[in-house]
Amino acid sequence: MKKALLWGAFAAATAMTPAWGQDVKIVLNEEADVLEPCMATRSNVGRITMQNINETLTFLDIKGGSGLQPKLAESWEQQADGSWRFKLRQGVTFSDGTTFDAKDVKASFDRAMNPAITCEVPRYFGGMTISAEVVDDHTIDFKADPVQPILPLLLTLLTIVPEETPVEFIREPVGTGPFKLTEWTPGQQIVLTARDDYWGEKPAVTTATYLFRQDPAVRAAMVATGEADIAPSISAQDATNAATDFSYLDSETVYARVDHSIAPLNDVRVRKALNMAIDRQAFLGTLVPDGTLLATAVYPPPTLGWNPDVKVWDYNPEEAKKLLEEARADGVAVDTPITILGRTANFPNNVEILEAVQQMLQEAGFTVEVKFYEVAEFETYYSKPYAEGRGPQLVVAMHDNSKGDPSFSMYFKYASDGRQSGIADPKVDDLIARASAATGDERAALWKELQAYLHDEVVADVLLFHMVSFSRVNERLDWTPTMATNSMLPLADIKFK
Amino acid sequence: MIPFIRKRAFASLVSLILLIVAVFFLSRLTGDPAALYLPSEASEEMRQQFREVHGLNDPIMVQFGRYVWDLLHLDMGESIRKARPAFDVVAEAFWWTLQLALITMTLVTGAAIVIGSLAAFRAGGFFDRVASVTSLIGASAPDFWVAIVAIVVFAVGLGWLPTSGTGSVWHWILPIAVLFIRPFGLIVQVVRGSMITALSSAYVKTARAKGVKARPIIFVHALRNAMLPVITVIGDQAAALLNGAVVIETIFGFPGVGKLMIDSILQRDFNVVLAAIMITAVAIFLMNLLIDLAYSALDPRIRH
Repeated sequence: MKKALLWGAFAAATAMTPAWGQDVKIVLNEEADVLEPCMATRSNVGRITMQNINETLTFLDIKGGSGLQPKLAESWEQQADGSWRFKLRQGVTFSDGTTFDAKDVKASFDRAMNPAITCEVPRYFGGMTISAEVVDDHTIDFKADPVQPILPLLLTLLTIVPEETPVEFIREPVGTGPFKLTEWTPGQQIVLTARDDYWGEKPAVTTATYLFRQDPAVRAAMVATGEADIAPSISAQDATNAATDFSYLDSETVYARVDHSIAPLNDVRVRKALNMAIDRQAFLGTLVPDGTLLATAVYPPPTLGWNPDVKVWDYNPEEAKKLLEEARADGVAVDTPITILGRTANFPNNVEILEAVQQMLQEAGFTVEVKFYEVAEFETYYSKPYAEGRGPQLVVAMHDNSKGDPSFSMYFKYASDGRQSGIADPKVDDLIARASAATGDERAALWKELQAYLHDEVVADVLLFHMVSFSRVNERLDWTPTMATNSMLPLADIKFK
Repeated sequence: MIPFIRKRAFASLVSLILLIVAVFFLSRLTGDPAALYLPSEASEEMRQQFREVHGLNDPIMVQFGRYVWDLLHLDMGESIRKARPAFDVVAEAFWWTLQLALITMTLVTGAAIVIGSLAAFRAGGFFDRVASVTSLIGASAPDFWVAIVAIVVFAVGLGWLPTSGTGSVWHWILPIAVLFIRPFGLIVQVVRGSMITALSSAYVKTARAKGVKARPIIFVHALRNAMLPVITVIGDQAAALLNGAVVIETIFGFPGVGKLMIDSILQRDFNVVLAAIMITAVAIFLMNLLIDLAYSALDPRIRH
C-alpha cells in the first residue's frame, strides 16, 4: 500500500507538470494538417495561426462588438472609382526579421489567389475580378469589379505573409503576429512562443502549447487535471462544473434546406405546414442543450442586419394539417414521400433530432423517411449540381457564419445560382445583389428585409437551431469563449487572474 | 532455412503487389478528394484547379503508372492533407504503433503463459476459476469504455497518471494497460486449453509417475508442446495491434498508424493510405516469418 502511494506521488510529480506561469495549454479536437496561412479560414488551422502567427489588414471585433478594426492597415477609404486604398502600419516586422510593407500585402494576395496552390481564400472573392496595386511602401489599392463595398471586411480573411513565401503549402508559417511557431511534433503538439519584437501590445501569454485529443470527455478531463487550460468544444454532458465550464452561442445554425423545384415542396402551403408541424421548443433542454436559440435565419443573431421582428414559426399541427388539406384539394401531391437527408455525426444527437422531426411531420400528415450519409456522399446532395430525378428532399445541414455579415451565407444558400440554394427567386437575387453592394444603414436594412422575406413569404427552408458550444477553461485564466472561438482563438485575449 | 525464407519473401511480395493494385483502384472508387478537401461553397473552377494541381484529372491508368514509377524510385508521393511526404507521415506514426505493439505483446505473452499454465495445472480449482472469469471479462470488455473509465479513475480521480498524450513513461501506462486486457484474456484461455490437453498426455503421466516436480512438468515438458496453437493466436493478436489500435489511439491521443489510416481513408488522402498499408503489410510479413521460424524451432517435424 505504502509502495503504491509512493509510486502514485512520484507519478503525479513527474507526469503532470501543470501548465502554471504564463504558459497556456490548449487542447483541440483535431490537429492542423498544415499551418498554411492561406488556409486559416479552416478552423483547425485558424485556431492556431489566425492573429497569433499571421495577421490580417483588418479584423472583425466579435468579442468587443466594436465592428471592423484596423490591424496591419491603419486606415482605409473608398476612392472615387470604387477601389479601396489602405494605409499600412509602419515599423512592423515579420518573425524572420524582414520588414512588412505593401509588397508583402500584394504578394500575400496574389499567392492566396494563385491557382497553383489551392487556398481557401479565393472562395470569398468569387464572382469578382480583383487586383492589388502597390502605391508606395505603405499604401496599397484593391480594385474590384464589380465594386466591393465589403472589401475591408473580406480582407479580415487574408493573412499576410512575407513576399518571399514560396507558392506551395508551407508548414512553418512566418507572420507579423505576436507569436511565432517554435515547435511542431506531428501528432503530438504545436508550440507558439511570444515574440520580443512584436509591433503591438505584448500579450500576457508567453508560450502556448496546442495538444490534440479527439474525445471530448478526455479534453474535459485534461482541464480538470491541470494538463490543459482551455478545452474548446467539450460535450454538453461533460460541462458539469459551473466554475470552469462556459456555454456560448457559436456561429453554427442547423436548418433543413428545402428543394423548391420538386413537388410537393414547390407549394408554399406545404412549406408552411412543414414549419408549423415541428415543435421546436420541445427540443430545448432535451435533444439540444439549454441556451440554444430557435433559428429565424441561417446565420446567428449578432450578424449585421439581424431582424428581431422575424418570429419563429408557431407550433400548430392543426393548422399544418389544414394547409396540407388545402394543397391536396388543389391537386398538390402531398402524399409523395419526402426524404430527410442527414450527415452522420454532424452535430450531437443528430440522429435523434432528425427522427423526432420525422415523427412530428408524420403526425401532421406527411410521409417522411430519414437517411444518413457520410460527409462526402452527403455533399453530393447538399451542393449543386443536384441529381436528376431526385424526389422531394429536406437536406439537414449545419452552416457556420462567424464573419458578422450575411453575404457569406445569403449568396451560397439563397441566390438562384448559389451552390447550396434550394430556391430561384428574382426578388431574392435582387435583394442579395443590392445588399452586397450597399454600405452602412442601407446595407443593414436590405439584409433585414431579405431575412423577413425569406422566412415569412418565400418560406425558403425549415430553420431549426442556432447552436451553443461548451468550453472548459482553467480558473487561473481570465478568458471567456465567444462565438468566434470555434474558428479562431487569439492568444492576446487571454489574461491571467 | 534460407530457401524457406526466400520462398516466403517471394510469396509476400506477390501479395503486396496485388494489395497495392487493389488499394490504389479501390480507394479511388470512394470518390474525389476535391469534394472533401475544399469547402462545400467552392466553385467548380476551384475544384478543377485542385484536381489539376494534384494530378487527379489524368486518366486513372496514367495516375497508376506514375505512382508505380515513383514507387520504383522509392517515392510514395505526397500527402494531400499534410503537404509532406506520405512515407514520413506514416513512418512517424508506425514507430509509435510498433513500440506500443511490442511492449504490449511482450507483457501479454509473458503474463498469459504463466497464468494460463498455472490455471491448467489445477483445472477447476480456485485459481483456475478466478483466472478464467477475469480473463473472460477482459476478453469481452469494450476497450473504449475501459479506456474512459481508466482515465476517470486513475487520472481524474486518483491523479496518479496523466489522462492521455505522450511525453513521459507515465503516459504509456494507461494505453498499454487498456490494450493489454483483451489479447491477455484471449491468450490465457488458449494457453489453458492447450495445456490441459498437454498435461493429460501420456508423457506427462509418465513424468509424474517418475516423480518429476510440478514446475518442470509444466514449464519444460508440457509447455513446449502446448505452445503451437498459442503462437498462432499471439501472431494473430500482434498483427491486429500492428494495424493500429484505433480506439486507444483516438482516446489517448496516441499518434499511431491506426487512427492515421482511418483519417486518411475518410479524407481520401490516397498516398497516405497506400503508404500505411505497405508499411504495415511489410511489418506483418516479417512477423509471420518470425512465427514460422518459432514453429520450426518448437516442433522439429515442421522443419521437414
